[in-house]
Amino acid sequence: MARVLEVKDLSVSFFTPAGEVQAVRGVSFSLEAGEVLAIVGESGCGKSVLCKSIMKLLPASAKIKSGTICVNGVDITGYKERDMNKLRGRLFSMVFQDPMTSLNPTMTIGAQIGEAVRVHEPRISREKLHKRILELMALVGIEHPEERMKLYPYHFSGGMRQRSVMAIALAANPDILFADEPTTALDVTIQAQILDLLRRIQTQLGTATVFVTHDMGVVARVADRVAVMYAGKIVEIGTAEEIFYEPRHPYTWGLMQSLPAYSKGKKTLSTIPGMPPSLLHPPKGDAFASRNPYALQIDHEEEPPMFRITDTHYAATWLLDPRAPKITPPIGGRSHE
Amino acid sequence: MNDDILLDVRHLTHVFPLSKKIAVKALDDLSFQIRRGEIFGLVGESGSGKSTAARCIMNLYRPAAGEIIYKGVNICDPAQFRTHRKMLQTTRQLIFQDSSSSLDQRMKVCDIVAEPLKIHRIRPARGSLRAEAEFQLRYVGLDAGFLDKYPSELSGGQRQRVAIARALSMEPELLVADEPIASLDVSIQAQIVNLFRHLQQEHGFSFLFIAHDLAMVEFLCDRVGVMYHGRLVEAAPAKELFSSPVHPYTQALLSAIPIPDPRLERARQIRQFTEDPENFQGVLTEVSPEHYVLMREGEHHG
Amino acid sequence: MGRKNPLAYFGKKCLVFVFSIFVLSLAVFYISRLAPGDPLVSYYGDRVEKMSPKEREWAEDKLGLNDPLLVQYVRWMENAVHGDFGISYKYKMDVTEVIASRLENTLILGGLGFVLIFVLSMLLGVLCAWREEGWLDRAICKIGTVTSCIPEFWLSLVLILIFSIGLRWLPSSGAYSIGKKDDVWDRIVHLILPVSVVVTGHLWYYAYMIRNKILEEVRADYVLLAKAKGLKKRSIMFRHCLRNIIPSYLSLMAISVPHILGGTYIVETVFSYPGIGTLSYESARYKDYNLLMLLCLMTGIVVILCGILAQMINEKIDPRIKATEEAEISEVKKR
Repeated sequence: MARVLEVKDLSVSFFTPAGEVQAVRGVSFSLEAGEVLAIVGESGCGKSVLCKSIMKLLPASAKIKSGTICVNGVDITGYKERDMNKLRGRLFSMVFQDPMTSLNPTMTIGAQIGEAVRVHEPRISREKLHKRILELMALVGIEHPEERMKLYPYHFSGGMRQRSVMAIALAANPDILFADEPTTALDVTIQAQILDLLRRIQTQLGTATVFVTHDMGVVARVADRVAVMYAGKIVEIGTAEEIFYEPRHPYTWGLMQSLPAYSKGKKTLSTIPGMPPSLLHPPKGDAFASRNPYALQIDHEEEPPMFRITDTHYAATWLLDPRAPKITPPIGGRSHE
Repeated sequence: MNDDILLDVRHLTHVFPLSKKIAVKALDDLSFQIRRGEIFGLVGESGSGKSTAARCIMNLYRPAAGEIIYKGVNICDPAQFRTHRKMLQTTRQLIFQDSSSSLDQRMKVCDIVAEPLKIHRIRPARGSLRAEAEFQLRYVGLDAGFLDKYPSELSGGQRQRVAIARALSMEPELLVADEPIASLDVSIQAQIVNLFRHLQQEHGFSFLFIAHDLAMVEFLCDRVGVMYHGRLVEAAPAKELFSSPVHPYTQALLSAIPIPDPRLERARQIRQFTEDPENFQGVLTEVSPEHYVLMREGEHHG
Repeated sequence: MGRKNPLAYFGKKCLVFVFSIFVLSLAVFYISRLAPGDPLVSYYGDRVEKMSPKEREWAEDKLGLNDPLLVQYVRWMENAVHGDFGISYKYKMDVTEVIASRLENTLILGGLGFVLIFVLSMLLGVLCAWREEGWLDRAICKIGTVTSCIPEFWLSLVLILIFSIGLRWLPSSGAYSIGKKDDVWDRIVHLILPVSVVVTGHLWYYAYMIRNKILEEVRADYVLLAKAKGLKKRSIMFRHCLRNIIPSYLSLMAISVPHILGGTYIVETVFSYPGIGTLSYESARYKDYNLLMLLCLMTGIVVILCGILAQMINEKIDPRIKATEEAEISEVKKR
């Protein structure tokens, strides 16, 4: 498979009056053509910043401090706004969390989709554009596109708007789609529809997708591979099966255990004690150590490297060091029922 | 009247006028009861009227029709409300979804927690208001160091804890929480839900828990009501509702909950739900003990 | 609300307008008579000092100043409804004529100031928002803060000191040199200083407001999506952001009219510019009641009209207000 995106040792910081907030700290991952990679983590773990930094959509206060971003083998780390404009939409595109605010309220849906088409095909004829808009609307499952393209966003429900946003994102047939919590603001029944649509389009067009979410249930539905992020780092990455059935990082354990589905019939939900550290002054050693019941002495002093478990499965925890004491993971090694 | 029932909502209807001609029916003939010491969950999609119901119960909205009997007092009746004002204001407490906007940003945590006591001129049991605030904070898992902080210095979970401490400082008999965990992270959600469960067992208050996260509702609640477009379509003990839902809308809603397991989740079929008005006619009928479903007489769903 | 009968809508607005004017006239009528001073002086000039008490009484009777206030007001109102606003004590002619002779000057000064502010504030606002936190942006924000603290009369005096007295480049007072009423160039030269004061007094504030409005749009989520689909900054700014702020821009400009008018009055007084402002000042000073009444009413009408206009623009054109309404209505229709 072709590697469409390769991120190496990427660090992104926000420079605020209070100091440097290290939102992304040395993240590496790659994305193959046609796969769905889910990035899971709690708010503030840097998952959304990671995606926006690749597309260079962050505000001016954010800087890429180190690392490289390669798209289709081309290093775009140093690209300026002018070069990025040519790539956005065509090479990669993005769907955002809140469909209520991500459409311009004063433009018709058709005009907004058309604009996205025209950016990359400025000389497209009127008839062709019209046809293409209808095509895109049909692709994302909007019925009666002919009438609906003349409507304004406020005529649409949340699910419909998110479909329109997807039509816009897919207008120039991008290689990579970033979906930043695209279903979080939607009702659960609509969420399922949008997820299935995303999966269908992804197989149909072969778009590689980076799916950012905090919901493990959503991950289970759409992801081929999963990266778990904590405090600006990827702490575990692997195929969906590996992450769900053989998780190795204590944070992944905690994340799974705090789901109510895991505590069915129990008196209390398992929780991860405490809260995520401030990225203004990240702690020494493993950022998760203070919340980690399995923390070793070394966790408080030195950051764990990525340990290889299989060719696809890596985790950053000292528990995987050969010298570490053997512990039985609280979950994993089972195949749910 | 049954002494066991703390809150009895009867045929509640509430209408939001949009203009002189058009009005939205936010609540449509809603009836349910909450017993003493029970956790009742109200679920439904956005716009189904859950929050409106909570606000009517807290006297923030005056319903267009129907009545709400709380401890034998019809709180929709202004005269009765006035006579029992103090009791109503001290024994019912509300927690909002977004405590970053529902807590006064200019007040310190200790003042926020102790404010209800101050307003109702209740003599703090532990000497000073500050001591009382400290006690309540400890109770919800925050130490004394938080007393002098401002809400903006706290995380979402901590703010929600402060809101809970404030509500509990009045020793309420009914706690209404409107989407109290919706804006929190997964691991923090679990912490807060555990806290709710623990506090409810300690205090024994009745708890109306409004949420759209069905998995959490299943875990926390004793009984659950499902709302759709202002109507209650099904109400049953939590276990029964989740294991054998009857109403097509409930079935669709439950089938849409994602399962955190790739193999099961991908194999899962989502039930499509058509907005057939036929499904929302009729009356609540008891299909098995305690299990009520909105249906026409003589009709049986699926 | 958009769905209402337009007739009822405008009827309501008119009612509000008429009522406001009525209250205003009552207030001005009463307050102007509370202030100390002798209206006879403006009518009879120095002769008043030599008048016997009897003559005074006769004079006051003649001007109708001896009746109770309410009676005076009702009489004024009756005449006003018939289009008779009385005579000016000082100029001894119809107040409408007095004002008409000055109105043109004020319209030129205020209108020019308004047009300049209207155009320049948008231009500067866009420039600032384009390079947020750039040097121009910072400079304008700073200048805005400083100039909004400078009183207009002081600024006028400083400019007169520099350009009229120091450099002798520009005239310090009047609307035209004597005998050159129709000389366009002469008029322009006389306008430069007053217009600069009016413009510098308000421009920065409005430019700053517009900059903030644009930035509010720029930070909206849809801009992120527009960027993500590959749209250039220029297209986003002009096709999306500017388009969306036009309603707020227009309503802001409607609100600016009274401000600019107020500024014009002060500037006119300092520059002895023969317009409505100077006239208002004089009429208040010399207790020229009838003149004062009409001037206050005219100003009030402009202010209230602009307020209502701004409100109407906000209610009618702003798509977001309409949007939420229509969304809710369509929601209802669905059920």
